[in-house]
Amino acid sequence: MEAYTIEQLHQMFKEDPSRIKTYYMDLFDELTTQQQRTNALVRMTREEALAQLDKLSFDPDDPLSCIPMIVKDNFSTKGVATTASSRMLENYVPFYNATVIDRLYAHGAVMVGKSSMDELAMGGTNKSALTGPVRNPWNLNCIPGGSSGGSAALVASGAVPFALGSDTGDSIRKPAGFCGVVGFKPTWGRISRYGVIPYASSLDHVGAFTRSVADMAIVMEAMAGRDDHDMTSSNRPVPAYYQDLSGNIQGMRIAVIKNICDEVKNPDMLAAMQKALDVFRAKGAVVDEVEMDQQLLLAALPVYTIIANSEATSNHSCLDGIKYGLRVAGETADEVMINSRTAGFSDYIKRRFVLGNLALATENQERMFRKAQRVRRLIVEELNRIYENYDLIVTPVSGNTATPLEEATSNRLSNEYVILENNMVLGNFAGTPSLSLPLGFTDGMPFNIHLMGRIFEEQTVLNAGYALEAELGLKNQCAKGDQ
Amino acid sequence: MEYEAVIGLEVHCELKTKSKMFSAAPVSFGEPYNTQTNAIDLGFTGTMPCLNKKGVEFAIRVCHALHMTIDEVLWFDRKNYYYSDLPKGFQITQDRRPIGRDGYIDIEVDGKTKRIEIERLHMEEDTAKQVHYSNFTLLDYNRAGIPLIEIVTRPTLRSGKEAAAYLEKLRSIFLYTEVSDAKLEEGSMRCDVNISLREKGTTAFGTKTEIKNLNSISNVQKALDFEFHRQAEILENGGKVMQETRRFNEATKETVLMRVKGDAVDYKYYTEPNILPIRLDHQWIEDIKNSLPEFADEREKRYIQTYALPEADAKQLVATKTLSDYYETALKTSQEYKLIANWLLVEVPAYLSKHGETFESMKMQPDQLAKMVTLVSQGTISGKQAKKVFEEMMNTGKDPDVIVEEKGMKQLSDPAAIKAMIEDVLMANPGLVDDYRNGKSRAVGFIVGQVMKASKGQANPALTNQLVVEVLKAKM
Repeated sequence: MEAYTIEQLHQMFKEDPSRIKTYYMDLFDELTTQQQRTNALVRMTREEALAQLDKLSFDPDDPLSCIPMIVKDNFSTKGVATTASSRMLENYVPFYNATVIDRLYAHGAVMVGKSSMDELAMGGTNKSALTGPVRNPWNLNCIPGGSSGGSAALVASGAVPFALGSDTGDSIRKPAGFCGVVGFKPTWGRISRYGVIPYASSLDHVGAFTRSVADMAIVMEAMAGRDDHDMTSSNRPVPAYYQDLSGNIQGMRIAVIKNICDEVKNPDMLAAMQKALDVFRAKGAVVDEVEMDQQLLLAALPVYTIIANSEATSNHSCLDGIKYGLRVAGETADEVMINSRTAGFSDYIKRRFVLGNLALATENQERMFRKAQRVRRLIVEELNRIYENYDLIVTPVSGNTATPLEEATSNRLSNEYVILENNMVLGNFAGTPSLSLPLGFTDGMPFNIHLMGRIFEEQTVLNAGYALEAELGLKNQCAKGDQ
Repeated sequence: MEYEAVIGLEVHCELKTKSKMFSAAPVSFGEPYNTQTNAIDLGFTGTMPCLNKKGVEFAIRVCHALHMTIDEVLWFDRKNYYYSDLPKGFQITQDRRPIGRDGYIDIEVDGKTKRIEIERLHMEEDTAKQVHYSNFTLLDYNRAGIPLIEIVTRPTLRSGKEAAAYLEKLRSIFLYTEVSDAKLEEGSMRCDVNISLREKGTTAFGTKTEIKNLNSISNVQKALDFEFHRQAEILENGGKVMQETRRFNEATKETVLMRVKGDAVDYKYYTEPNILPIRLDHQWIEDIKNSLPEFADEREKRYIQTYALPEADAKQLVATKTLSDYYETALKTSQEYKLIANWLLVEVPAYLSKHGETFESMKMQPDQLAKMVTLVSQGTISGKQAKKVFEEMMNTGKDPDVIVEEKGMKQLSDPAAIKAMIEDVLMANPGLVDDYRNGKSRAVGFIVGQVMKASKGQANPALTNQLVVEVLKAKM
C-alpha cells in the first residue's frame, strides 16, 4: 500500500469518496503487516473505526475528514482501553475522551489504533512498554526512540499519515528523529492536555507526528485552542497554520546554538546541518552562531530529572487500585494501595517515584525541587535573551541515529549525552514551539534537525520547516519494509 | 499550681456553591451515593482541575467578615498523601499563600469582649466520604471535591467557654455571609481543637493534644473542659502530657486516645502545576466587600438602639439568621418593633414546638404577622382575637384580613352601637344604675360583660368600658 500524506488522501477522497472504504480495508491489512514488523500497536481499533466511518459523511472542505490516525496509548479514549503501556492500567477503559480526541473526531479523523509507548511516558527507548519493545521501521534491530515510539514507528512505516504523541522532555521530537518523520510540539498551553495521562504537568505537551510540514499544520490547527477543562490552555485565537504556511523566510533571524552543535561528531550530520543553514541563508534568512551558558546547559538534565520525577510521583498517586486500574487485594485499604502499586509499576517507574519523593520531601525540597525550579527559570531567561534578537533557535535532534535494541545505555555523564542528547528539553522548560524535521541519513538511518521558536509563534517554526523541507527532498519518506 | 489553657481551633466549612471547587459536578446533599460526581472528583488520570469562581467569592466574603488581609494572587498547592478517601492521591489546597491572613473576631464571654486572632483562611477541596459497615467500607464520592475553607486561629483562646463563643460567632458569620449552612451535626462545619496547658503567668507553650470528632459546639466546650482537667492532673502529678490525637466520646463525655503523634506524614506540598497563579481583580474583591450583608452584631446594635428592644430579645433574634431575616421582612410592613419581636420570640416557638414543626417550614409569612399586629394596634381585633388569627395563620397561611373576615371577628368599635347595647342591658336590669350610684363599681364590670356577651365578644372592651361609665354617669 502506498504511503499517503493527509493532503494526498484528502485529494483522493475528494475525487472519489467511494475509495474511502476500500482504502480502510487496505489500511487495516497494512497495519497488521506493520504491527508484525514493529510491534508498535497496543491495539488496533478496527471495529470502532469502521463503526465511526459508517456514521461519517465525507466533508470535502475539511482536510481531516475520514483521515486515519494513530493515538498514543496515554490519550484517554472513551470505551477503548488506555493503558499508558503500564500493567497498572492494563485493563483500564476510560469513560471520557481527552479533549483533543473529541476535537479530532469533530473534524472527522478516525482512530485506527493505539500505539505503544514507554511505561507512563517515562523513557526514551520504548523498551519499557508492557507489550514489549517497538522496532524501528528503518532497521528492525533498532529502537524507535521514546516515549512516543509506537506513534513515530507507525507514521514512519507509512501505514498512517499522522499519529498523536506527548512530549515531556523530547518524547515526540527524539523518536521523530530516530524514525525520520516530522514531530512537533507547539507552545505549552496551545493544545489542551485534558484527558492525557500526565507525566509532569509543567513540562507535558501534546503534539503529533506526520510526514510533511503541511500535514502538521493541518493537525495542529485542528487540535489547538482554549479548552475550559484545562485552565492552562490559552485563550489566544488559533491562527490558520495551514493556509498561512509559507516558505518565505526572507529576513528571518536564526540562531544556531554553537556549544550544542559542537558535540556532534558524525560527519554526515555535520554536513547536513551546514546544508540546512545554507538553505536558510539562500532563502534570505540571517543565520548566526550563538553560545549558551555552558553551566546552564550542563544543569538542564538534572533539573529536568528532578522536576519531571517530582511532578510524576504526585500525578500518578491517583493510580492506587481503589477506583480503577489494577487492584491487588489486601487486608486494609492501605494494603490494597501498597499491593496494587507494587504489582502495577515496573522497577524503573518505582525508582523514579522514589527520586521524585526524595526531591519533594520537606527536608530536601528547598535544595532539590525548588532549586531545580529556579535553575529552570534561569535557563528560560537565557533562552529569552536569544529570542530578543532571533526568531528561531536551531540545534541538532541528536548526535546519533537510533541505537540497537540490545545496546547498553550511553555514558550518562558525558557532555555529549548531557548537553546534546537532551538539548530539546529546553523547549519543555520554556514551553516553546519545537519542531523535529527530517534532515538526512547516515548509514541508512534517518536523522532530524530541531527548530524552536518563541512561544505562540508556531507559524514561524512551521514556515522555517516548510522552507527547508522543500529543498531537502525528504517529504513523505517512509520505511515500509519489503512487500 | 494554677494552670492556663492555650487553645487553637481549626475549623473547616463546606461552601454551598452550586458546583464543586474544581469540577462542574453539582454540590447537593442527601442524594444517592456516587450520583453527584464526575471523572475529576473520582480522580481519573488525565483529568485537570477547573477553579470555581463562586467558591473564591465565598471565601473572600468570609475573609472580609473576619477582617483579613486578602492575597490578590491566588496560589494553589498539592498536599500529597495516600488515603482511600483521597481520589487523586493529593488534595488541592493553599499552603504557602492562603487567600486570607491576619484576621480577628471579637467575642463576648462573661460580659467581657475579647479579640480572637485568626492566623489564616485557605481554600481546599473535600475528600470522599467513607461509609463504614461491619466488615467493609464503601466510598461515596458525592462529597469529593466540595469546596472547603479552613480557618485557623492563633492560640489566643483560653477556655472551653471562649472556644464555644468563638465557634458560635464564626457559625453566625458563615450563615450571615450565606456561604454555608454550617451544621456541625451534619459535618458541613467541622472543628479540630488543639489544647495545651501552662502555668499561669508563664509564656512558653506546653505539649498540646489534638481532639477530633466534635460534632457540636457544646461538645467542643465539654471536650476542652475535660481535657483541661486531664492534662492538669497529669502535670499536677509530675507527669508529662504526650503529643497525641484524641477523640471525644460523646457517651462518657471524655476524650480518649486515638493515636500518638509519631512520625508525622510529610505532605510534600508544592505548587499545583495545573493552576497557574491567578491575579484577582481588585475591584471585584471590593465589590464583594460592599455587597456583604449586615452581620449579627450590627443588627443587634440596631435592634437595641433604634428599635428599643431589650438586649435579650435583640440577641435572641440575631442568633438565628433566618429568624432575624424574618423579623427584618416583617418590619417592612409594620413598625411595631416590640410587638412583632414578642410574637416571634414567644408565640411562634411555642406553636412550632407544640406542632413539631420547624421555623423554615412555617406557613405564616412575615408580612402576615406584621399585618395582624397592625390590626391589633388599630383596635380592629382584640388581643384575644389575635391569638385565634395567629393560630389560623400558622395552620393555613391565610392572610389575617381574610381570616378576620371569614370568622366575622371584626371588633365592634362603633360608640352608637355599643351605647345601644348598654341601654338594652340597663333596661333588662333596672337596679344597676342605683347600685352604681351607691358606689358599687362592680356594676360596670357586669355591664361590660353583658355587652361582650351580646356582641359575641366583638365589642371593643376598652371602648365599652369607657362608654358604660359615661352612660351611668349621665343617668346619675
